[in-house]
Amino acid sequence: MSKKYCENFRIPKHLEVPMGAVIPAPVKENPNMKTGNWRTERPVIDHEKCTLCLNCFVFCPDSCWHLDEKGERMVWNPVYCKGCRICVESCPADALQNVNELEFKGGVVRLEKPY
Amino acid sequence: MAQWTKTPTGEKVYEITIWARGVTQDMEGRHLSLLLSKAADKEGKFTQAWDNYADLPDRVGVPLRKYARISDEEIEMRYAYENSEPNMSIVMDDTIVKGIDVLRGMQKGGVLVVNTKRPPDEILKLIPNKELLKTLVCVDATGIVGGTGLEGLDFMGSEGGVEAASVGAGISAPLVGAAAKATDRVKVENLVAVAANKAGVKAGNKTAVVKSL
Repeated sequence: MSKKYCENFRIPKHLEVPMGAVIPAPVKENPNMKTGNWRTERPVIDHEKCTLCLNCFVFCPDSCWHLDEKGERMVWNPVYCKGCRICVESCPADALQNVNELEFKGGVVRLEKPY
Repeated sequence: MAQWTKTPTGEKVYEITIWARGVTQDMEGRHLSLLLSKAADKEGKFTQAWDNYADLPDRVGVPLRKYARISDEEIEMRYAYENSEPNMSIVMDDTIVKGIDVLRGMQKGGVLVVNTKRPPDEILKLIPNKELLKTLVCVDATGIVGGTGLEGLDFMGSEGGVEAASVGAGISAPLVGAAAKATDRVKVENLVAVAANKAGVKAGNKTAVVKSL
């Protein structure tokens, strides 16, 4: 805490350090909490079947689905998707499908720490 | 090699690290470390088996670690709650190999046991630091036991929870059988005596594909 702040409020010396851990708030993605390696299956989208109803965007707990800049296709974020399959269940057009993670070459962030 | 991984006479303690998926394989991973230490205990060896505290509380799908140690002499690794230099790494779900460095801390000449339907060459492609490995063992434990793989789901940690199955009834049985193929620290007959699914241990030992590197 700054010296000036302490002087203004006459905070005792032992309370100068704030309680709890302070971390900077993530603007869009939190690089300290990558959860891509939690999943065993990933959702694969069929763009021809997709009606852009945005159900997956609404239901995804990790905000891994979003529209691309042109507004034509849904884009999936592999870094944070935990493979919870909520998007697959909530898709009314059956455009999403579960495929085993090892069928793909890349896509998983190889982490040094577990999470 | 770190000093604390050795016994008083200088021999290294045989360390086994088990990687499991959170909640769904939590019980089976615990049983896996228990089975290995119990079977080695039958030969009169000194053993330890425990869960990784840092991974708790586990959530569905997170990679969890369970540990086991086997030694001919008394283990004096006090206050070392993680296996810093594992000799063997057992992965209970093949997708963990892709997402995390399962060979962390391993010295050259280690063993990796993977529960997978795929051939060993396909698994090797996913491991960038495969030069550490001496042996890779692939076994389809989920296929041997059958079912959805969620039979090991228990809620022992929650209120009123009880142990749902006896030790070594699920996919841990074929995996210990496969692990015995790559190391001489545990014997198959001891594992069969300890595990509940005795046919599973034998089938895992029989069908495991061993690839020496």
